[in-house]
Amino acid sequence: MSGLARQRWTLATVLLVPLLVLAAPAPLRLAGVPPSWAVLWLLPWALADGPLSGALLGAVLGLLLDSLHPGPLTQLPVLVLMGWWWGRLGRRGAPIERSFSLGLLALLGTALLGASLALQQLLWGLSSAATVHTLLAQTLLTGLLAPMLCSLQLLLWRQLAPGLRS
Amino acid sequence: MQSPGRGLRLPSLRRVRAAWPWVLLLAAVLGVRLSKGAFLSDAYALLSRPFWPGSAQSEWLRAAQQLDQQTRLEQLEADNRRLRELLELQAGSVELLSAPVISRQAQGWWQQLVIGRGSLQGLASGDAVLAPGGLLGRVVSVTPSTATVTLLTDTSSRVGVWVGRVRHHGMLVGQGSDRPLLRFIQQDVGVRPGDLVTTSPASTLLPPNLTVGVVQSVNDKAVPAPEAVVQLSAPVEAIDWVQVQVQVQVAGR
Repeated sequence: MSGLARQRWTLATVLLVPLLVLAAPAPLRLAGVPPSWAVLWLLPWALADGPLSGALLGAVLGLLLDSLHPGPLTQLPVLVLMGWWWGRLGRRGAPIERSFSLGLLALLGTALLGASLALQQLLWGLSSAATVHTLLAQTLLTGLLAPMLCSLQLLLWRQLAPGLRS
Repeated sequence: MQSPGRGLRLPSLRRVRAAWPWVLLLAAVLGVRLSKGAFLSDAYALLSRPFWPGSAQSEWLRAAQQLDQQTRLEQLEADNRRLRELLELQAGSVELLSAPVISRQAQGWWQQLVIGRGSLQGLASGDAVLAPGGLLGRVVSVTPSTATVTLLTDTSSRVGVWVGRVRHHGMLVGQGSDRPLLRFIQQDVGVRPGDLVTTSPASTLLPPNLTVGVVQSVNDKAVPAPEAVVQLSAPVEAIDWVQVQVQVQVAGR
């Protein structure tokens, strides 16, 4: 675990995710579906701070987001998995900074998250026509927003914790 | 090569000390999860309070409600007129004639007033006199150019009224003060303060469904039937102009 997590207030920015989920700002919605704010926050964090920090913050985000929904669906396992995966990617090879790479990782992460939710809905008998619509719109929108938002966050984390790999 | 027993080694104190903030964080977030995000919802409500729908939105809503009520009122009035014609409850139509209050004496402030329109303008004894807000009284006598109006607050005034919510008739009796008394015929009428008092829907002496006032207090122990004090909706104490409902007989009826 490197410098980012040691700076308490950078950790506190994780609280922005549930607040943005609750606010669901209208200009940042596609066909009524907001982007996956959890993916947009977790991707640069995990890339910058490593797999353990990524997985732990994935768990934190999962618990926070699950608390906002009364149903049995959970985002926690996929967020932990992706936090770990992105953290490992950030530790290997060249730093991931290119817009296309960030967009692609966010797209895959959102698709995986959406697919896990769709699967859970299917298992719990909650599936509806809106599931596919939400999955597609959210994946596309998150993939489009990620290059801009994740690059900015990476830049910010790098300034706050010099010596990070990406 | 790994030395035997390395896997069984306990984590160092430094690692445990480094991990405890994370344990604390996860415990806190677990608490949030178990409380169904109560803290998050409250924080969001606090932060988003400046963006909640404000006075502008409520004014739009009020204007829309008023428009809706106005439209419904017009439709109901038209419907009511048509039904009354079918029932032949009222043989003629009415028109409103504005009249200035030309005399009001201090001794009979709550009893009567004199208005500047008379029989030459079509006024007749018994015509209803309205003020902004509702019924004010009835014309008791007319001269060619003036008319004397007995107010609802006059002790001789007896007007049959209707409390729509409980669907009960009553007699509005003037007390010589600003608040007349509503006497009921039945027991257990169920009237309570705030109920609207109107002229009877089936009234032929007075125009039906005119607002009279609002029940201010109820005396359930009155004998032989309950009584209620009514606050008149028309400001009896400050009237400059009134409107008289003049009956216009329809030819052929």
